[in-house]
Amino acid sequence: MIILLMAAFAGIVLFETPGLIQKKYWRELIVFFMFLLLAFIVSLLQIFGAKVPNPVKGITILVKGFLSLMK
Amino acid sequence: MKLEGGKIAGSELVFLMIGFTLGSSLILSPAQAAKHDDWLAILAGLGEGLVFALIYTTLAVRFPGKTLIQFNDIIYGPYLGKIISLGYLWYFLQLGSLVLRNFGDFFTTIIYPETPMIVFIVLVALICASAVRNGIEVIARCSILLVVFTFVVIFGTAILLAKDMKFTNLLPVFDIPLREFIKASHSAATFPFGETVAFLMVIPFLKKVKEAKTSSIIALIMAAMLLVVVAVRDTAVLGITKTISTYPAYQAVRLIDVGKILTRLEILIAINLLSMGFLKIAVLYYGAVLGTAQLLKLRSYLPLVLPMGAFMVSLSTLQFGSNIENINFAQEIYPYYALPFQVGLPLISLLIAILRGVPKKMKGAKK
Repeated sequence: MIILLMAAFAGIVLFETPGLIQKKYWRELIVFFMFLLLAFIVSLLQIFGAKVPNPVKGITILVKGFLSLMK
Repeated sequence: MKLEGGKIAGSELVFLMIGFTLGSSLILSPAQAAKHDDWLAILAGLGEGLVFALIYTTLAVRFPGKTLIQFNDIIYGPYLGKIISLGYLWYFLQLGSLVLRNFGDFFTTIIYPETPMIVFIVLVALICASAVRNGIEVIARCSILLVVFTFVVIFGTAILLAKDMKFTNLLPVFDIPLREFIKASHSAATFPFGETVAFLMVIPFLKKVKEAKTSSIIALIMAAMLLVVVAVRDTAVLGITKTISTYPAYQAVRLIDVGKILTRLEILIAINLLSMGFLKIAVLYYGAVLGTAQLLKLRSYLPLVLPMGAFMVSLSTLQFGSNIENINFAQEIYPYYALPFQVGLPLISLLIAILRGVPKKMKGAKK
């Protein structure tokens, strides 16, 4: 699983970066790597079975809090 | 420098919006809580949704050629505007991941029980990524073909099921308490109709911005009519069992049996979901990617497409443990969670824009 994930992300890097470097889009390159790193960390943690903070749980708690105020 | 060179016509916007609104609501009926009165709840939700659409299109016409992210900066100033834009980008991205998850759930529970869910999610995300890389023009043009096909399937299945329909299943009309009805119609308003807030990222690329208002109203009404046809078909065929099945459309179409030859048409519903859901994810994905590129003042949005898609895929597998959690979230939490993005912020934006007279000043400066 980990090898597959690495291969997928390496594929994305190989697909996008040559064009960006040729055009000298450095700002785009930085943003690209930031987002890619974020996605990579989240998916790697999921594969390892670590508890990644779940946004849906956070939203649920927020909404329930507001609804209890409304009553 | 312009991020998006494409232009779409008003008629293409109509089709794209119908496809977007049908999206995953074709299989998860939008006002399930209203039981056999869901067609009434959808119509009531349409009323609410039309008000939302009027707010969005008024904003879009007031700021011609500017996307949501760009006019947030004008309305709220550079700092607060960026924070609000970030909220919207998160909303688009998360909504996209929810729809991706619907795909995964549908295919793994019904059609391919042995295959891991991630396979479907990655495949659909790749198709959407290629659509987004090609720009809004391509997405808008595929929508015409796909929506026409869905029209044909919806009416075709309704005709083939005509002999199984019992319209007494729709009686008694308005059998549920008013409170429940309002809750159901509100959830129908937020689940397919209000999500058209994502079109604030698409309407700026219309050839004639004036057409935005009529196009979106026509699109919402047509989509609601189709959803009503689907709801009436399912209720009339399935009766009370509709309320206990997760995917009523699939269950209903399964019953088609014309002379033992024309059977097992339920896969058409899966194709419908695939095509309409593709349009929905593509628009949301496009909105998130283009918005991020505009927020960070990039010269091209293409490099962001694949990393954001990867993030969306990992988010969609992370969010829910099971199908039931997903549906529970969609019915209980989502209608309230979506409110600030769908009504609150656009309404405040419009009020502030009117009070400050913002875009008029810009026009005067240009002249």
